[in-house]
Amino acid sequence: MAGSLKGANLFYIFSDAVRSIRENLATTVLTALTLGFSLSIFAVFVFVFFNLRSVINSWGDRTQIVAYVKDSPDAALMREAVMRVPGVSSAEFVSKDKALSELKAELKGHEAILEGVDENPLPASFEIRVGGSYKNPAELTAVAERLKALPWVEDVQYSREWVEKLSAFFRFIELAALFIGVFLAAATIFIISNTIRLTVYARREEIEIMSLVGASDSFIRVPFFIEGVLQGLIGGLLALAMLAGGRLILLSKIPPYFSFVVSSPISTPLLALILIATGIFMGVAGCLISTGRFLKA
Amino acid sequence: MIQLFHITKSFEGASALSDISLKIDKGEFIFITGPSGAGKSTLLNIIFGSEPPTDGQIILDGRNYFKIPRSEVATLRRRIGFVFQDFKLLQTRTVFDNVALSLKVMGVGPREVRNKVLRMLSFVKLQHRANFKAMSLSGGEQQRVAIARALVKDPAIILADEPTGNLDPALSIETLELFKEVNSKGTTVVVASHDKNLIERFGRRVIRLENGRLVSDGR
Repeated sequence: MAGSLKGANLFYIFSDAVRSIRENLATTVLTALTLGFSLSIFAVFVFVFFNLRSVINSWGDRTQIVAYVKDSPDAALMREAVMRVPGVSSAEFVSKDKALSELKAELKGHEAILEGVDENPLPASFEIRVGGSYKNPAELTAVAERLKALPWVEDVQYSREWVEKLSAFFRFIELAALFIGVFLAAATIFIISNTIRLTVYARREEIEIMSLVGASDSFIRVPFFIEGVLQGLIGGLLALAMLAGGRLILLSKIPPYFSFVVSSPISTPLLALILIATGIFMGVAGCLISTGRFLKA
Repeated sequence: MIQLFHITKSFEGASALSDISLKIDKGEFIFITGPSGAGKSTLLNIIFGSEPPTDGQIILDGRNYFKIPRSEVATLRRRIGFVFQDFKLLQTRTVFDNVALSLKVMGVGPREVRNKVLRMLSFVKLQHRANFKAMSLSGGEQQRVAIARALVKDPAIILADEPTGNLDPALSIETLELFKEVNSKGTTVVVASHDKNLIERFGRRVIRLENGRLVSDGR
């Protein structure tokens, strides 16, 4: 911003901003509302995406490989060997007894099925999870092959098809989210910048006249800057209120196991900060760019 | 004070001014006259710097107007009082605010602004309208607000585009007497007008434009 600001100037600029906000209250509120709605729609999208992603990720984190082993008292030694296989992030030993008690628990109410079974027919096993890049189908197969090569491993089970499907689904979700995200961000910026441009356009004569009587660029811009901050602040707070309200309403309507959909991937103070900062940034940038256009004209 | 060298201006190919060279000394009082569409307003706008010439140079106060940085344009404009043909008032603001704006942008303190504005409003006989919004005034009253806004800052130069266009003969003469008084204190005054009687009455240097050309320069 060009030109220096003297004390008297600052006084005029601030009183001008206050008067201008009072005079243009309806437009200020409308712009703030547009900002609030646009920001909250975008935030909802980001929430849904992150929540879906974490759900899909948690599916992938379940046991990926089960290795059936000969029962042996040296479970600890076997576990060490399993853990040495590249890609294995955790391995939990399930003894024959534990396997049976788990089965009994699962068959609760239908215990009759197990009647007549004297000896425990279930093998001991390791429930194995792989980490990071080993989750993709090709690597998972390689890990399974290595496990199979261990002498005391009788069989290895993993669902290659399931992993492949999950992986493809995940890629699709990410691609779709990227596409929608870019589109939604562009639409949000377009709506907000246009709303602000129209409000500034309605006052282009005022900008022109002030410039003609010798007002410096900063003298003209600062009131718009202050209005931009205010609009952004109100818009950000509105978005926050709408998200919080929407979440409460949804929580009361949907079954508890779906509640993850409305949980925030970040803490509430951080979310408030991001929304308000984005609102203020957009409000100020929109006002300054629009006034700049009329000042240069 | 103001020097124009071979100024040419065309709008979308149509020539509005062609090859105007002119020298206006400090403290001079001149009229620019000519029929409608002769280029009077364009010439004033070019002197004011709100419209760039297609060709030619302007030296204002020893400086080439179109070569000074944008930040200094505002400073230069504060030394010029322009009475626009269409007034260019902030319609939703009061008469007082419109006149005060000239001083506020210069950083003049609130008390001095108040004193000067009220004095100037009584000068143009509008003190009783100080708190009226500009849009509620008649054309003649708005014109006087525009004149007050131009004069209140004691400018070095007054540029006035048909400043009496909406005034009755008596008020027109009074307005020009006002300019004469300001001129007697050293302010350079340039008035564009097609009012022959008025121009003759004041007997000053007259520049006549026709079809964008300077056809005569003299008393």
